[in-house]
This record gives sequence, structure tokens and C-alpha cells, in this order.
Amino acid sequence: MLLCDFHIHTKYSDGSMELKDVVDLFGQAGFDVIAITDHVVNGDSMIGKFAYKFRFTVTEKNFNEYIENIKYEAKRAWDKYGMLVIPGVEISKNYFSSEKSAHILIIDIKDFIPACESYEKIFLEAKRQKALVVACHPHHMKGEIRNTLYLWKNRNKYGKYIDAWEIANRDDVFNVVSVKKYPYIANSDFHKASHLYSWKTLLNCNKDVTSVKNCIKENKGVAITLFRG
Amino acid sequence: MILWIFLFLVFLSLTVYILQTLALRRKLIENYIPKSLPPVSIIKPLKGLDDNLFDNLESFCKQDYPAYEVILSLNDYNDPAYRIAQKIKSRYPNLVRIIVDNSSNALNPKVKNMISAYEESKYDYFLISDSNVYVEPDYLRKTISAMTSDTGLVTNLIIGQGGKTFGAKLENLHLNSFVITSVCFLDKFLKMPCSIGKSMLMRKKDFEEIGGFNAVKDVLAEDYIIGKLMNEKGKKVVLCSYTVKNINEYWSFRKFLNRHTRWAKIRWKIAGVKYFSEPLSNPVFLSFFIPILEGFSRISITAFILTVIIKIAFDLYIGRMIKSPLGFSSLLIPIKDLITAFIWFVPLISCKVNWRGNIYKIGKNTVIVPYEGNSSIKIMFNKLKTAITN
Repeated sequence: MLLCDFHIHTKYSDGSMELKDVVDLFGQAGFDVIAITDHVVNGDSMIGKFAYKFRFTVTEKNFNEYIENIKYEAKRAWDKYGMLVIPGVEISKNYFSSEKSAHILIIDIKDFIPACESYEKIFLEAKRQKALVVACHPHHMKGEIRNTLYLWKNRNKYGKYIDAWEIANRDDVFNVVSVKKYPYIANSDFHKASHLYSWKTLLNCNKDVTSVKNCIKENKGVAITLFRG
Repeated sequence: MILWIFLFLVFLSLTVYILQTLALRRKLIENYIPKSLPPVSIIKPLKGLDDNLFDNLESFCKQDYPAYEVILSLNDYNDPAYRIAQKIKSRYPNLVRIIVDNSSNALNPKVKNMISAYEESKYDYFLISDSNVYVEPDYLRKTISAMTSDTGLVTNLIIGQGGKTFGAKLENLHLNSFVITSVCFLDKFLKMPCSIGKSMLMRKKDFEEIGGFNAVKDVLAEDYIIGKLMNEKGKKVVLCSYTVKNINEYWSFRKFLNRHTRWAKIRWKIAGVKYFSEPLSNPVFLSFFIPILEGFSRISITAFILTVIIKIAFDLYIGRMIKSPLGFSSLLIPIKDLITAFIWFVPLISCKVNWRGNIYKIGKNTVIVPYEGNSSIKIMFNKLKTAITN
């Protein structure tokens, strides 16, 4: 089975490591598939403005450079480690209220999607780009003051757009996703080297972008594992 | 009076450090005349993920050497290193073999890991190398050239490289100062056999004459004991001047403390009373006592700062010699020296070691027994529980 992590941050947003070092860390550890998903933050809130000020976000301006660098690293990772690297973003709608906030992984993104758009527009644009949509850390997380609960609270409205839900994020497990029998994956929400050791996804499919996306959407041959060094 | 005693000790310590640096310098210019290039089996025991593991393993598959094999040995298919071993094997199918076996009863996990691999290895010469070692393509050729007919074991100098976190930087600073200079000093001036588990080349015939893995299955410092037994058998233990890289990139501070308390405990169990001479190779620690005992006077502060500057200067010089420049990491040298000085005390109060998830108590010559925690309390509790429930 393919060892995968679809939720990884680099210095393009609030990660502590350069893209190249992240790719090498995962490659050296024997991973088969990873997605680089730096934050694209909404600029219409105080938290969002802070993220823009301190460059903790991918912007429309540097998006193409971001994607080009991921593609360059993807080629290097494939040649060196046989590891598939998929470009993505984490659309981060941050507000002071947890009930209003949501984070969405758009995996295999092609064009920039602004985070201040409405949820519907974001989802439809992601679908137009044939990207995979994942609701990340959708429920209460241990030790977090601010959670991202909006999508879970509005799952009846937006569930149809979401290809998978994070059932586990780093050390947290969201059993509600299991209870609802939603399609699931597990990720590290990687920001620093020690996050390598966390929940991961195992996929039983071919190692190419289309097969990986289909496997997650169909949610057959998917397992999760707690990766320990 | 105390001031003068400590100033003398600091002076002595700096002299020792100069001698150690000199020993390294002499060691590095040693050259060996290449003779035959016999086939070699390289055994790589794997357990868990080391930094740079993929590249480390691949570097052994890129040797400029006529005939050799690489055996990747593991105890468990579920070990995360197994995935990487498979990737390496798929890239070098004719060179690499993977052996997974957990049947040995050896207490030393590294020895337990290697027994089957050793039995399966094809060639008369074999080389044990840890998974966190990276080598250049001329490594095997240069190492075997140090093997003469009267040599039982060839081992290599190690250099720490790649530090990206605080813990890893401390680790590499320590390997590239205290460790590398100490082994060269023991080898060059005290003529003591030094064997380093990161890289050990032997003939099977010699190894079996000293008892093979059976002789070291229940000791923690199997590398030291192998060297000692070889020496007792009249075989030379050669510390080859060729350096191998120990890649430490993302170590936590805790991991650094764990490794060096373990190594300190090993040295204490091996050296006995000689262990008390070790602080003499840490001038920063000795000079630290001057302001503590004498008060923060101008002379005591000057003595401390001067010692730190001299120590940093020497470590920078060593870094240049071993082609591993320290850069801004050099600012951490006094912190590292003080931390390791406090680690030095730990073996005097504890003999428990944690090695890759296994906890042991170590005795003389590093003989290990599994540590079972407060087992007597547990037994008493169970007896009490049984008595109550019956």
C-alpha cells in the first residue's frame, strides 16, 4: 500500500522548513505520495490580515511560482525517491469564532482560488479544476483554542462537495467522521520535522495522481496508520 | 588558592586538548598502500528511521569496488525502515539483499539484528556499518587498504554532519570535537584499540576466532568488546584515517541527551576509575568553576572567556581539518561543553540506558540485562490483589 500524507506546509506559509527540505524529509523516510498544501488565507478578517502581513500565506501574486517550485520538486522526488508530489493548497477561512472557521485542502490545484470567496464558489472552482476537496480538522482538536467547525456544522449543505474528511490530523482522531461513514483520510498537518510522526493514509492504488484521487473519492482501499519512527 | 588550582587545571586541560587535536592531525595524514581488493559483504542493521536514511543506504550501493554485496537486516517487517530497504533493493536488485529475522535471543538489539545477515553473507570479509552513516564512493577501497595480514579489525573515524535543529547541531559539534579527537588521542598516543561501530571491517575467520556474535550478544558496547577481543588475540585494531559521515539533521535535544548519557555510561563501565580523567578534556567546564568558586571578579571572568575563545578556535580548526566547517554553530560550543560536562555525572548515579526503545541496566564491560522497572513492587501488588480476590 502507498504511504501518503496530503497535508503538508512549507515556508511558503507557516511551515518551518523549505519546500526542498520537506520533500527530502518525506522521501528519505520512504513515503510514496505527498501533497504540499500551504495556506491560502482569507484577507477579510483580522487573523487573515495578520497572515498576509507576516507572509504566512500563498497569495495570487506568488501562486505560480509556488506551483512551479512544487512541480520542479515533484520531478526531483520522482526521479530520486519514486515519490509522487502533488501540488495543493489549504484554503483557510479564519475567524475568531470556531463555528465560522473552516480549512479546506484543494489537492491537485491548477489555478489560484481566493480564500475570501464563498464556500460554494471555492468548491465549484475546485471541481472545475478536477481537484480533490478535503475538509481538514473538521471537529474539536485537543489543546486548540480555535477550531475549524464550520464545515462540520454545515455538512448537510456542503457535504456533497467534499471528497473526503480528515478522520485524523496529526495526533487528533475525529471519530464523528467514522460514525457518519464519510470518506476519510489521515494527515500530519506537517509544519516541522517532528510532525512526520503522526497519522497517515495508506492507499491501495497505483502511484499516479488520477488513481490516488479516485481511490480517495471512492474510499475503497483506504486505511490509516499512526506512523512512528 | 582555589583560583590557582583551577587555572592550572584549565591549563592542563587545554594542553590535553591541543594534544588531542595534534593526534587527529597526525591521524588524518596517514596513508595506506592499496593491495588486493577482496570481495566484501556489507551488513547494514536497520531499526527505525534515521535522518537521511535513503541516501545513507544508497551511498553503500555506489561504491567504486569490484565485488561486494549489501545486506540490509531488520528484525521486523513492520519497521518503517523496511519500506526504504525495499526501495533500495528495487533500485539495486543484484547488489542488495534484505534479511528479516527476529529469532536470535541476543539482548543487544544491533547484534540480534545482524546474526542472520552474517550467516547469509557470501564473502570472507565483512563490514558492519550503522544505518546513520553516509559514505563516499571510495570508502570501501580506502578502508580495505588499511587491512593487512596482521590486522583483525579496521574501523573509521566519524564526522557529524547536516545539523538543522538545535539537538542535531549539538550532536555534530560533539562528534566533531570531543569524540573524534579522543579516539585519535587514544589510538595515537596511548596505543589503545578504538573500534567504532559505525564502520567495522573484519575477516570472518578472525571474528569467529574471538567467538563471533556469541561473544558480544549480551553487551551494549559490542564494537568496543570486538576490538578488545581482537587485540587480546594479538590482532591489530586499525583506526583508518578515512572518515565516514554520521548524518544528524533533525535531532531533538532530548535525543542528544539520551545518546550522550548512554555513551557516558558505556565509558564509565569500560574505563572504571580512568573515567575521572575525562573532564580534563573539557576546558570550558573546568574554567566555568573559576567564577563560580572565586566570585565574578575580573580575573575569573577573563579566565573563563579566554578559555571559551581558545576552545572555539580549536574546534574551528578541527572543523577545517575534517572539512566540516562549523559556521555559526561554533557559538554553541560552550553551551554544548557545559551540557556534556553535566552529562558526565549521570553514570555515577544511574546505570539504566534507553537504546532505540529498549531499556537496559548495564554492568561491568557493558553487560546488559533488561530493565524491568519497579518489578518487585508489581509482584507485591499482584500478590496482594490475588490474596484479596481469593
